Amino acid sequence: MIQINPIIRLVNRNLTISINPGFIIWQILFPLIYIFIAGFAYTSLIDSVPFGGKNLDYPAFLASGMIGFNIMNSTLISGIIIWNDRRHGMFEQIMSGPFTRTHYILSNIVTIGIIGLFSAALITAVGYPVFFDSVEFSIVTIPLIIFGSVVGAILFGSIASIISTKLRSSEGFNVIINTVFLFCAFASTAFYPVQGAPQPLATIFYLNPLSYLVDVIRAGIFGQVTDFVITEMLILVALAAILFVIATKLLTKLDF
Amino acid sequence: MLCIETKNLRKKYASTVAVDSIDLQIESGQVFGFLGPNGAGKSTVIKLLTTLISPSNGEISVLGIDSSKHPLEIRKKIGVVLQQPSYEPTLSAEKSLDKYGMMWNIDKKTRKKRTEELLSAFGLEEIRKKKMEDLSIGQRRRVQVAREFMHNMELLFLDEPTVGLDPTARRKLLDFLRDQVKKSGLTIFYTTHVLSEAEYLCDNIAIINNGKIMAVDSPSELKNRFGHEKTIKIHISTVSEELKLKLSKIPECQIKLEPEPTVVITSTKSEIVLMNILKILNETETKINDLSAIPTNLEEIFLKVVGDSN
Repeated sequence: MIQINPIIRLVNRNLTISINPGFIIWQILFPLIYIFIAGFAYTSLIDSVPFGGKNLDYPAFLASGMIGFNIMNSTLISGIIIWNDRRHGMFEQIMSGPFTRTHYILSNIVTIGIIGLFSAALITAVGYPVFFDSVEFSIVTIPLIIFGSVVGAILFGSIASIISTKLRSSEGFNVIINTVFLFCAFASTAFYPVQGAPQPLATIFYLNPLSYLVDVIRAGIFGQVTDFVITEMLILVALAAILFVIATKLLTKLDF
Repeated sequence: MLCIETKNLRKKYASTVAVDSIDLQIESGQVFGFLGPNGAGKSTVIKLLTTLISPSNGEISVLGIDSSKHPLEIRKKIGVVLQQPSYEPTLSAEKSLDKYGMMWNIDKKTRKKRTEELLSAFGLEEIRKKKMEDLSIGQRRRVQVAREFMHNMELLFLDEPTVGLDPTARRKLLDFLRDQVKKSGLTIFYTTHVLSEAEYLCDNIAIINNGKIMAVDSPSELKNRFGHEKTIKIHISTVSEELKLKLSKIPECQIKLEPEPTVVITSTKSEIVLMNILKILNETETKINDLSAIPTNLEEIFLKVVGDSN
C-alpha cells in the first residue's frame, strides 16, 4: 500500500470538511459586492488614490485590497477547524490515531496556505477586469504576491487558531473572532487609503497586520515595490512567525 | 501474548489521584471489561493506554511497545472509540466512514468495500446520506463505532460504546464485536455501566474504584469469589406477631411489608436457613404465595466489590 504522508491525509480531510459550495459562493459573492457595488458607488467620492508612484482609480484600489481581505477572511477556517474539532471530539480522535500534534498543526498551516492562495487567485480573477489597466506584473512581483498571500494566511490563521484554543463556547468564539476580524478589516488600508486619514486613524491602520498584507499585495499587482513595502513585508513575516509559534505552543498544550 | 501491561500506573491531577498504582496484564484475543462507578478512573486509564495523556508514574506497554518511547507506533496499531462523541458535522454517515478510512491510509477500493460492509453491519444504510449533525445520538454513536473498523487494528478501546443505542442496536453491536474477536483475534478493552453487557461479552473483567483495581477475573470466577451469598424471597399472605417474633431470632432473614409481605433470606447458607424458615411458616400457619431464588449476577458482584471498597 502506498504510504501517503499523514500531513497530506489531514489536509485532505481539512479541505473536505471546510470547503463546501456555500463557502465558495460566499468567497466570491462577498468581494464581488464590495468591488462592483461599493467600488463604483464610492468613485464619485474618491476619484483616484495615490499608491507608490501611481494614481489608481478607487475600484482598482479596492479590488486589490479585497485580495488581502479575502485571505484574512478565508483563514478564519483554521480557527473554525480547530474549534469544531475540539467541540465535536475530533481533536481527541485524531490525536488517538496515527498522527502527532506536529502533523495536526502543520496540516492546518498547509490548509490555510492552500485556502489563502485559492482566495487570492479567486479575487485576482474576479477583480482583474477592474484593475487590469494599472497592472504591472513582473518576475519579482508575482512571487511577492504569492509569498505575501501565504505569509498573510499563516498570520491570520494563527490568530484564529489562538482564539480557538482559548475559547470553548460557541458564543464566545463567534463574538471574539468577529470582533477581531471586523476591526482588522475596517481599520486597514484594504478599503480606504491612509493618505488624508486623521493621524490617530492612520496610526491604527499601521498597527493592523492586514494593512501590511494589503500593501504588499497591492505593490505586487501594481509593480510599486518600494523600501517601505519591503519593510512591511519583513514586519509581516516577523509577526506571522511570532503568532505561529504562539499558536503552535497553545495547540501543543491543549489537554484532553 | 500480553496485549497490555501496566506496572504501578499512576495519574495525578493537582491534588486528585485519578489512577492509583494499577498493575494490569491483559492477554491478546479477548474482550476485557473494565468496570467502575462514575469517576472511578476508567476513562483516565483509557487515555493513558491510548497515549493521549502521560502517566505521573509507572510503565505502560501496549502490544509490546513502550508507550513512553513510541506512542505513535502504538496509536498506529489501535482503534479508539472514546466516551465523548466525535464526528464531522458536515459530512454524511457514508462520507464519514470513507474519510476516516482515508485518514488511516486505506486505499480507495478497500474503503469503498468496507464502507458498504459496515453500513450494512451497523444498520446504517438508510441514513448513509444524512449529515452527521442531523443524526440522533444513537445513530452518531453507531457511525463512530463503525468508523473504527475502517482500518486494521490489533487492539480496540471502546469507552461506553452503547450509550444511546436501543436494545436491538446494542445486541447487534455486541454480536458484531464478538464476531470480530473470533474472526481476527482482535483484543477489545471495553468499559460500560451496563453490567449485563459486560457479562454477555467479556472474557475477563476488572473492577476499578477510586483509581484502584479492586478485582480482576473472569465473570464466573468473580461470581465464585464474591457471590457466596444467595438471596431467596418468600412472598407470604400475612405477617402475624408470632411470625415476626420467631423470625427475629434468625439474623439472616428480613421481613418486608411493601409492596407485599415478603421474607428475604440473604446468606451463604441460604438453603439451611430456608429449611428453618419453612418450618416456622408451617408452625404459624402462614400461607406461601410464591418463592424465588435470585441467581448471583455481575451487578451484585459489582455493587458488593465497590461497596466494600468504599
